[in-house]
Parts: sequence; C-alpha cells; structure tokens
Amino acid sequence: MKKIKYLLSICTLAFLGCNDAIDIQQPGRLIPETTFNSIEDLQRGIIGIYTLYDTTQEIALATNFTDEVAPGVATGGQGFNTGFVFELNSGSTAPFRMWIDGYIELFSINTFLVGLDAYTPSADEQAEYNNIRGQALAFRAYSHFQLLSYFSTDYADDNALGVPIQTSVPGLGDQPLRDTNGDVYAAIEQDLDDAQTLLSDMSSATSTFISRDFVSALRARIAAYRGDYTTALPLAQDLVNRYPLATRAEFTGIWLDNSNAEIIFKLERSFNGPFDFQGASGSVAAGGWAGNMWAFVNATAGGGAYYEFSRNLFNLFDPADVRYDAYLAPSSVVSPDYQNAVDFVNEDVLVVQKYPGSEGQFLMNDLKVFRSAEMLLIQAEAYADANSLNGGSASVAAAIKQLRDARYGSPQALPTYTTQTEAFAAILNERRVEFAFEGHRWKDIKRLGARANQNIVRDPLDCAQFNVCELNNNDFRLTLPIPLTEFNGNPGLREQQNPGYGN
Amino acid sequence: MKLKLTWLLTLFMAFVMQLSFGQEKDITGTVTAASDGLPLPGVTVLVKGTARGTQTDFDGKYSIKAKSGDVLVFSFVSMKTAERTVGAANTIDLAMADDVAALDEVVITGYSTSSKKKSAIASSKVTSETIENRPNASLVQTLTGQIPGLDISTNSGQPGANSLVQLRGVNSINGNTEPLFLIDGVPVNEDNFRSLNANEIESVDVLKDAGATAIYGSRGANGVVVIKTRRGTKDSTLKVNYVGILSYATLQDNRYDLVNTRQALELERTYGRARGAGLGNGAQTGGNVLFPGTGSPLTDAEIAQEADFDWIDFFFRTGVTENHTITLSSGSANASQFTSIGYFNQEGILNNSNLQRFNFRNNINGSSSNGKFNYGTSISVNYSKSDQLTSIGTNGVNQNPLFGALSSLPYFTPDDQPTSQQLANDFFIEYAPFYITDKLNTSDRLDEELKIIAGLNASYKITDDITATFNGGVDYQNVVLLNSQDPISRNQLRFNPAVDGFAQQNSDRQFSFQSTTSLNWNKQFGKHTFGLGGYLEYFKAHRRSFGFVANGLDPATFVPQDDAGFLADTPDDDARVDTVSATKSDAGLLSYFGAFDYDFDSKYGLNAVVRRDASYRFATTNRWATFWSIAGRWNISNESFMDDSVFQDLKLRASYGTSGNQRIQGNTYWSGADLPFNFFTLLQGYGGADAILFNQLGNNELKWETVAQLNVGVDFALFDSRLRGSIDVYEKETTDLFQDQPISGVNGQFTLRANTGTLKNRGVDVALNYDLVRTSDLNVGVQLVGNYNQTELADLPSEDGEIIGIGRNGGKLREIFTLRYAGVNPATGNLLYLDRNNNLTEDPNVDLDRVWTDRNSVPDFTGSFNINVDYKGWFLQTQMQFEAGRDQFDNDYSRFLNPDVIGQFRVSADFLRAWQQPGDVTDIPSVNVNNDQFGSDRFLTPMDFIRLRFAQFGYNFPAKSLETTGISSLRLFMNAENLFTLSEFRGFDAASRLNGLEYPTPRILSFGVELGF
Repeated sequence: MKKIKYLLSICTLAFLGCNDAIDIQQPGRLIPETTFNSIEDLQRGIIGIYTLYDTTQEIALATNFTDEVAPGVATGGQGFNTGFVFELNSGSTAPFRMWIDGYIELFSINTFLVGLDAYTPSADEQAEYNNIRGQALAFRAYSHFQLLSYFSTDYADDNALGVPIQTSVPGLGDQPLRDTNGDVYAAIEQDLDDAQTLLSDMSSATSTFISRDFVSALRARIAAYRGDYTTALPLAQDLVNRYPLATRAEFTGIWLDNSNAEIIFKLERSFNGPFDFQGASGSVAAGGWAGNMWAFVNATAGGGAYYEFSRNLFNLFDPADVRYDAYLAPSSVVSPDYQNAVDFVNEDVLVVQKYPGSEGQFLMNDLKVFRSAEMLLIQAEAYADANSLNGGSASVAAAIKQLRDARYGSPQALPTYTTQTEAFAAILNERRVEFAFEGHRWKDIKRLGARANQNIVRDPLDCAQFNVCELNNNDFRLTLPIPLTEFNGNPGLREQQNPGYGN
Repeated sequence: MKLKLTWLLTLFMAFVMQLSFGQEKDITGTVTAASDGLPLPGVTVLVKGTARGTQTDFDGKYSIKAKSGDVLVFSFVSMKTAERTVGAANTIDLAMADDVAALDEVVITGYSTSSKKKSAIASSKVTSETIENRPNASLVQTLTGQIPGLDISTNSGQPGANSLVQLRGVNSINGNTEPLFLIDGVPVNEDNFRSLNANEIESVDVLKDAGATAIYGSRGANGVVVIKTRRGTKDSTLKVNYVGILSYATLQDNRYDLVNTRQALELERTYGRARGAGLGNGAQTGGNVLFPGTGSPLTDAEIAQEADFDWIDFFFRTGVTENHTITLSSGSANASQFTSIGYFNQEGILNNSNLQRFNFRNNINGSSSNGKFNYGTSISVNYSKSDQLTSIGTNGVNQNPLFGALSSLPYFTPDDQPTSQQLANDFFIEYAPFYITDKLNTSDRLDEELKIIAGLNASYKITDDITATFNGGVDYQNVVLLNSQDPISRNQLRFNPAVDGFAQQNSDRQFSFQSTTSLNWNKQFGKHTFGLGGYLEYFKAHRRSFGFVANGLDPATFVPQDDAGFLADTPDDDARVDTVSATKSDAGLLSYFGAFDYDFDSKYGLNAVVRRDASYRFATTNRWATFWSIAGRWNISNESFMDDSVFQDLKLRASYGTSGNQRIQGNTYWSGADLPFNFFTLLQGYGGADAILFNQLGNNELKWETVAQLNVGVDFALFDSRLRGSIDVYEKETTDLFQDQPISGVNGQFTLRANTGTLKNRGVDVALNYDLVRTSDLNVGVQLVGNYNQTELADLPSEDGEIIGIGRNGGKLREIFTLRYAGVNPATGNLLYLDRNNNLTEDPNVDLDRVWTDRNSVPDFTGSFNINVDYKGWFLQTQMQFEAGRDQFDNDYSRFLNPDVIGQFRVSADFLRAWQQPGDVTDIPSVNVNNDQFGSDRFLTPMDFIRLRFAQFGYNFPAKSLETTGISSLRLFMNAENLFTLSEFRGFDAASRLNGLEYPTPRILSFGVELGF
C-alpha cells in the first residue's frame, strides 16, 4: 500500500509538471494589445499597409478584358477563357480579387488605426504620428474609391449602389449591405479632408509615399469620375503646374524607374521585396512583377510574350512619339502589311515593354498610380465637358497639344474638334495611348465611352480565333458582379447584385 | 543447429534405451502437419507412463522401441497432442492437427493485449507473412487492400513517396484524417515511412471502433495502426536470416492514344498550325530555330521524313531496386534480442529520381529472475538519401519532367537539344522537352533523412494483482534538403541572369516524445475477472529548422553540399545577397484516463474507458475535453447450447464511444498552432523595409472535433474452421467539424475556421477466409476483404445548406458541382451543355446551370480478393484489389484534348475525329470551339478499377535437401505489383487520387531469395 501511495504521488508530481505540454506560446506572434508600443512600431505598421497595395490586378483586368492586347507569339492559351471571350460572372477571379483585396486593405487599416489610437505620442512624436494617421486615412479613401470604381454601375450617380463602407473594425458576424455612391463619396471626402490636415509633406521626394499631393490627385480623379469637373479642374491644373510633364529623355527613364518626372505617386517594387515574384500569368489575380502580365520571361520578342499589343492599339502609335519607343520593345517585328501576312502571329510581333524590369530583375518595375499626364487629360475632360473644344488655351485641343508636344519633343499641330463627342473621342484615344497597360482602359470605356461614342473593338485578326471582337460601352460587364463567395457569408447582398449577372 | 544436436542426442538416448529394454520392437513412422501435409521435425514422441521418448527428425520420421499395447504420445507446440496405441503394425504415421485454442490470435486492445476471444473490439491484423518480401519501399503501400476499411492511396511513384491512409471513410473536412501510427508503442509521423524497413515488421493491428480507439482519445479519432517489430525469444540459439530482392519497375500503360509524328504534323497541317503548316518558330526574331518555316504546308513525303521520337521512353526508364535485409535473433534465460540490418537502393522510373536507405534495428527484452520486473527497448536508426524531382503535378513547361515525357512533340529529338544559353535567349513553348532536359542536367535536389525511433517499456509487478508500467518513446527525424541550380542553366540565365545560380540547404528537425505511466489492477474471483487501469499520458513535439540560400555559384568549384563555390555579393548590386531562415514550433498534449475491464467465464465481457484530454491548440476555456467508450461481447460459441453446432467460434461484439481530433488543419503536429488568436507579425514589407501587418483573424471559440462511433460486429469460424471471418457494421458521426464558416469579406477574408457541421460515415467491413482445399499436399485458401462506406454531410454552415467544394446537406462529402456536358453540336462543332431546365445550350450560365452530380472522389467500395495456394513447397499468392464509386477529373486527358496546344504539345489522336463541318457527328468538338472554357463533367471519369495489385510465386526447399549445405531454410520467390488494371480511366494509374502530370506508380517485377541459418 505504501508503494501505491508512493507511485500515486509520483504521478501527481508528474502531472503538475506536465502543463508545459499545453501552455505553449508560438514565437513571433504580436498580440494586438501589445503590438504598437512606439512610434517606430507605428512606422512599421504603416509600412505594413503600403505592403498591401498592388495595382497589377487592375492592370491585368484592363489588359485582358479590353482591346489592349492580342495573343502573343508564346501564348499557351493564357486568358483565353476569360478576357478574350469577355467571360465574367460572379464566380470569376476578377470580382473575387477586387472585392477581397479592397476589404483586406480596409480591414487592415482599421485594425491598424485601433493600435494607433491606443498609442499616446510624445510632443516631438506628434507630427510623425499625425503623418502616419494621414497616410492611413488617405489609403482608406483610395481603397473605398477603388472598390466603388469596380462595383458601382454609375460613378456619376450618387443614388446608385456603391459598396459597404468600412471605417471601423467589423464584428465577425457583420453582414453589411451596399451603401450608396453618395455615402461612399462622403466617407472618402471625410478621410481625405482629415488626411490633408494630418499629412506633413506636400510631396514625396521619391514619389513612393503618400503626401498631400496624393490626396489632391485622388480628389481630381474622383471628381472626374463623378463628372464634377468644377472640382477636378483646379486640382488638376495645380498638379500639372507643379509636376511638369517629362521630357523625352525623362519619359523613357520613367519606365526604367530611372526618373520620377511627372510622377505624383507610384508603388515601389524592390529586388527581393514582397512583390519580387512571377505572378499568375493571364489571370486577373496577377501579382508579382508587372511585366509578367504580358510575358513569361522578359520584355523582348523572345521573352515569352503571351500577350502583345493589340493591332488597333498599336496603330495609334506614331514612331516619332517617344511613347512608341518607350512602350514597344525594340526587338519587336512590325509587319509592313500585317493584314496580308501569311503568318500574322509570327510576322507581327509587338512586344509590350512598359515594364521591362529594374534592379536587375526582368519585368519588375514600380507601379505608377498618379502621373501629371492624367491630370492634364482630366483638364481636357473638364474642357470637353464645358464644351471648350478648340483654341490655344483652356481647351481640349490645347491640353492634347500640350501632352503631344512633350511626347514628340517638338511643337505639334493644334487639333480641332467639331463636336463634343469628337473631343471626348480624342481624349479617350489619347488616354488609350498614354496609359496603355496602366490599368485605365476598362474604366475609361465605362465612364467616357458613351460620351465619346467609342466601344471596345478588337482588330479582326486579333480576335479571329474566338470571334469575340467587341464590347459595347454600356455592356453590363463593365461593372463587376458582387463575388459569389461574399453571398455565403452575407446573403443579404444577393438582392443587391449588379444587373446582368443572372439575378 | 540446436535442433540437429537435440535429435542426435535423442538417437543416442534411444540407442542406450534399446540396450536396457531388449524385448521391445521398433516402431517407426512419419509425423506430418494436418494443415499443410509437411513433415514436422521436433515432435516429441513418448511412451506413455515411461520416461522413454524421442523426437522426429527433419523429415518428420521417428523410431522408438515399444511393446504392443503401449500408448505413444505425440506432442508439439501449437498442435493437438495425440495418442496412438501400438498394435501389430510396426509403423505408426500421424497427421497432427492444429490446436485451435493454442493458436488463438493475440489482439492488441489499446495499451494492453488480449486474446482474440476475450476482445470486444473491432480490429484487423496483418502479420509479417503478408508484409515482408515486398518490392515496395513503403510499408504502408504494402498494406493496400489488405485490411477491410483501410483505404490507402498512393499518388506518386516517386521513390519514398507518402501515401494517404484513411480508415472507414473521411472523418474530417479540414483536419487530419489519417490514423495514429504507433511503432512498438511510439507514435510516429504518419507521413513518413520511407525510411522504415517492412521486413522488420512482425504484425500490424488496425484498431477501428470506439471501444478500441477511445483509449487513444486525443489522437484516435481516425483509428489507430499499431505496428510491432520482431523480437527475439528467450532461451533460443542464434538464428540468422537473409532476404534479398531484386526488382524491376516500369511505367504502367495508358490509353490516351497520343499522336505520333505523322499524326501530329497532319493535324497541324489541317489546322494551319506550326511545323505541319510550314510555319516556323521565331523565324522573325532570330532565335535558336529548329524549323525556320517553309511558308507552305508540309507534303506527305516531307512528313514521312520527319523523326518520330517517344519522349516517354526518354524521361522514363526501367527502375532497378535491390533490397537486402539480415536479421539476427537469440535469447538467454532473462533476455532476448533481435537485430536487423537493411540496405535498400531504388531507382525511380523517372530518370533522376531514386532512394537509398540503410536501416539498423535492435530490440531487447529482459526480465528480472523473479519475473516481477520486465522491460523492453527498441531502437531503429534509419538513414535515407534520395534524389527528388520537383514541380511534379504542375504545368511548368520548363520544370515538370512529366510534362516533358507526356507533352513533347514527337518530331523533336534529343539531338535537337540547344544549349542553355540558346534556350535562355528565346522562349518557344513547344521546347518543353529541351527546357526540362536542361533543368535535369543543371540542377540538383537531394533529400537526406536520418530517422531514429526509440522506445522503452518497463513494468513492475508490485503485488500479484497490481502492476505499474511506464511506456515512453521518441520519434526523431532530421531531413536535410539540398536544392541547387547551376549558373549556366536555362532557368537561371533566363529568369535571373544577375544571380549566378544558387544553392539552397535546409535542415528540418522534428522530435516528438510520448510517455504513458499507468497503474493496473487485475483480479479473478471465480469466474469473474476484473481489470482496472489509471493512465497519465504526456506528448510533446518540437520542430526546428533552419536554412540558407546562397546566391552566386562558381561553376568550376561548386559541388553540392559544399561552400567552396559560393560567390560573395559584389558592391554593384544586391544580386548575390544570401538569405537565411529559421523556424521553431512546439506542440503538446496532456491526458489522463481510466479503463475498466470485466469478463465472466470467457462468455461475456465489458470494457469501458473515460479520458480527459487537453491540447495546446485551443484557448484556455476549450482546452480540455472528455471522451469515453463502452464495449461488450458475447462469446456465443462458449455457451453449452452451442456444443454441437457447426461453429468453432461465434462472437457478437458491440461498442459505442467518442474520440477527439485536435489536428484541425494541415499535415503536421504544428500546423494551425494558434488559430484561436488574433495577431500581427513582423515581415519584410514595402520597399524592403520592416513592416508589421495584421496576420491572423482568430476564432477563440475553437474546440475539439468529436467523432462518435457505433460498431456492431460478429466474429466467426465454422465448418472445422474452414470458413473464418468477421463482419462489422458501423456508423460514425463527426460533430463540431473544423470548417470554414462563411463570413463577409469586409473582415478581410471570406471564411473563418470554426466548429460547425456534421459528417457521417456509415459502412460495413467484411473479412472472409475460406479454406477451399486442405490436404497434406495441397492447400487452397481464398480471402475477401472489403469495405463499403458512404459519407453524408449535415448542418453545413451556409444559408442554403450547400457549399461548393464541400457538398450539400444530405449529400456526399466533396460532391462534385459542375455543368453537365452533353456532347458536340453537329451544327457548330461547339460543346453542348444541359442548362438548369435540362435544355441543350451552347452558352450555359455558370451561376445557375451547374448541378450536384452525386459523384465524388471518395470511394464507396474498397477491398481485395486474395488467393493462396501451396503445393509441396510451391506457393502462389495473388491479391486482386478493387475500388468503386469514385470519380475524378481526368486532367491529363483534358490537356491532351486542348485544341489551343495543337502545334505546341503532344495531343491525343482523338483529334483526328474532331468536328470539321456542319453535320459531323462526333464526340470531339471543333478545334476552333469557342465555349470550352466552362468547367463541366466532360472529363469527369469513373475511377472504378480491378487491379492485380500483388502476386507472389515461389518455392520452399524441403529441409532434407538442405541437410548438407549448412542452410536451414531456403525460399525462392518472384513478385509482381500492379501487373494489370482494368478500368475505364485511360491514364497510368487509376488508384491515384491526384491526376494530371503526376508521377505514376510503377509496375514492379521482382525476384527474391530468403535464407535461414
């Protein structure tokens, strides 16, 4: 019996010593309450927010689902099932990525702001503290606007459905419905107003951080989308004045990341950084190196170009224009008579070189978000909207000429437009050239297509394989559907699905 | 040796005795075994009532002096003792019958063993005879189809590849579904058997029902596989055994009907693609061009001149494997030992893949001279080295050797291979074979693994009724991975020319420790036997890994695993900055439990278990959970009213109970370590700067997943035990399933892992053995092993009770939800689908027209049909494995029928009957089909199959013929695995659960010899 007691006590002792088996803290976990304890932690926190932003999905959508590209020499069928046949439904990658990426950004910002609020800065930390908050709020405005731009049917209609606004950390069971555009714009305005006062810098020396100019540029873009050109015009004018258009030499440098001329904001992409990888080829999921959206390997004719310039985009380019040199790879093969080529695919190889690579890594370049060229063309839109079409100043013609003068490096003829539609068409075409492969085309057709009487139109040779060649500017597929996966956790939204998607 | 001495001695004794009892006559005879008719050496023959005795010799012959009327008593271990009265005849032959009672199988029941009769649990046993001498590297693979309800699927033929093991269906959607594996009481990583030698195994017991697994509560939810290795016997002389096997593995057949050169070029010509149409590749861009293009389609004569090369033969080979095992066992009065040394060298059927393995095992048993203290240790040290192919299963045209083998155009030949630089300069997608060949020639991928499993058990009998036991063990493995890429290689020059190659090395150490301390009391009161046990169990698992990637190699001095060729970073750029990594994870479990056993007169029995378990994974409030079970039996054949029945054995069993699963996601002890908690992490962020980012949205309500199981079974033996078997029916219900609860994306994710929903598995296990012929020369036995299992989902976390990818309420697990393909439209050549109203359409709505197909990838029926024949030392064994009720998308066929890749990759000759013009009625759509982007059941294939999984044929040399050789036993045999398969599936391996560019499991032929000394 004594023995048993002895054994039992050993067991009891063993048991007490055994709790190390279940009380385990995994290393490297920062629990929310104790994550942000210094201004340096907050600086790391805002860097974390920057790390979430990627525009390759936007670029991939605009490239794949429009008339920007055609199958390249190295195509293995990438994108054939989606953009080439304009196949878009609530189960597609595009709405899934755009929706969740936007809300990942918003959720992370709001979670970060909780930590930020809980920290009390010292007097000499106050300015940096405010600057960090300003950047977070500016990003929150940007994300809301990005979401709205994909999921709202009509940017200019404040009563149209926008997206659920997120300005605080949601509960796990929250099932928010869509807010109206007017409410979303109001939330955006609020954040931009706050950011404006909190941000410490007017501009970013490297163009890679958020400054008050980012706020102005975003305001100008939003106002143009809304058709509120009275707001857009002065903002755009100011930015063009302070960010003069690049010279021809600077312009080619922009795409090699050697020059920051005319760049108001861009997302930095660094060697061995979080975006230094090969993304999903031919998919809106994209990610990684931007140039990977057209080529597997590099931006040359032999670099595995699975997409190339669509022929009718290419036809808008003039070899005297620096944009021809900057955007088209020199190794491209331009067929003198492509329409009669025996082997069109191999005799007409128009390689996209907008993202040739940097820092020794092929295809990896900074992602340009706001350039003053956009601001200049927003001015042009404002003039067109006011029916100020021709003349040497404050007109569509003058704005277009100003851009072309810079791109050709010599004074160009002042164009003339007889109708507003013609002027809008000129702006849309200029945007098509200027912002080719920058992710604007899909939204531009949606918001300006009707006024310019332009549609998405592919060259017959480019679209011969599937015979899917046109998408009208009023097509429902220029608004993304709410993704199917959202309905599982938020069934009420099903009632608010966008038109055309089977409801 | 000992035996020989014994009967020499006996003969001497007999001689002596002859002198003393001169008036008796010589009785001679032969003793054989009734079961197989083989002579029985060593049978003791005694004249009853005297001290006179002898033993039979090698041929079962004996000679003894006896008088008429004397009674001879024949006795032998595990045989029924027989008596014969001496009459007039001088010869008495005897066929000794098996002693069924003595042969009663030992059944593992949780932490103890029991006789089969007294066991109330559902379990199946496989002994060494069915495991040893197989050509397979993996012990687990050899168990395929041998145990009712144990579903083993092997998706890769890569030497040392892991298998997925599931018992009686799938119990969890996201959690671990594999059983707990114990080797000599030590829990081991269920995904790593490549280092273990199957020839060391004595037996494998699979515990299935709640009555058996509840005692393993925290890890027994998916069943338990108890593996015992061989041990020596006390008081035995040294026995040495050698087994050598030589195997040849080849690729199994496929029926995709891939094009040859003529067919490929004709297709290209017809559809205006590539070489067949006279179009060159890259002619305009000045690359390395194998065919500049003629501008006009090739003529028949030109096509006839083109080479026709089979890239399958280029990438695949006949893989040769050698396998040697030597075992030594011996024992003295208080100790015994078993030692095994093994060497195994396997070539994979794909070039550049192999596995080389060394094993050492030593098992020792010992006891104190008073028998109160008993101990046993086992240690197994295993080292393996393998060249592993990477990117298997991917579409990487520059990476996956399967892609090169299956999809390379036959008019290219290895003589066309361009240099690495040429390949890097330009990209032609059809150059897949050259890219992959370049990769195989310029990169290395080596795994080295050291695995040590050590166990100790010790018990002390405190009183006659009370025993204290300690059982502990460790599983240690260290995997060192090496991955390098030469600076002069296509992939390096192409993707990252600034970096001159790289070498990656990673060391991953995993260590797990378990101890069980128990106190047991057993007591018999008349016909009542009671047992009571208290247990404390502690488990801890640690993982440590670290590694580096050295960027920049000097090709002249670089040798894998050495740093002589590492180049330093230069001031110009950061291209050669090396990277380092390290991880540390810990996991643990703590349990205490009690077990109660009762038996009445070997007729009725009851077992009960209650346990409390805690896991490190859950938040403090949900950490502990209680599991229990109760099991009962009735040995009907032991009732007196059964005395004259045909039944030698009849037992009814029933059990009900619960067990828990805390491995809520991933494959390791450590995955999903802290899902209940929110946290941020530090990472490299924007612009390369340090960043802190929200990383995990936790669910602090997570708790144990629980499996409740009801099992009713019957064990029987009848007609002189000719027919033996067991039948079990079971129903399992997993509640609080770890599943993704849909949430709104505003949380930054669409789902949150939660305990929600129910999964049921219902089924029947059957094992039947019948001795068709049972004579002294010829024995024929047949065996059927089978399982029927059906899964059913309930309470799915979605508003309509359906989750695409998981299934629907009342439906099967992972039921496929897709469009219905309805053939080719003769008018257009496009695909036709059925819409939601069963109307044909070319333009289905993916949201609304998809349907639940009632098909899934979990088989309904699994099992095998086995035949064993032996005739005078010859033996033949076959195992026909079958599986039914499983469907899978044939991704390979889908790729071979992708019209976009005609001219780029090898396609199926089925394209020759593609739709060409309105009115064509065919099953292959137009090459210009424009609606094949929709996922549908077009390539969904029934994977039902019957396969000759295993066959063995051989000869046991009779002992007599070996008398002068010094060898005590000799056996020669020939094995075959996967000899043929009947299936509708057209691919290489109908049993594989993965499909599309996977490494197929091979067909293996082998020859072996087993020698005993």
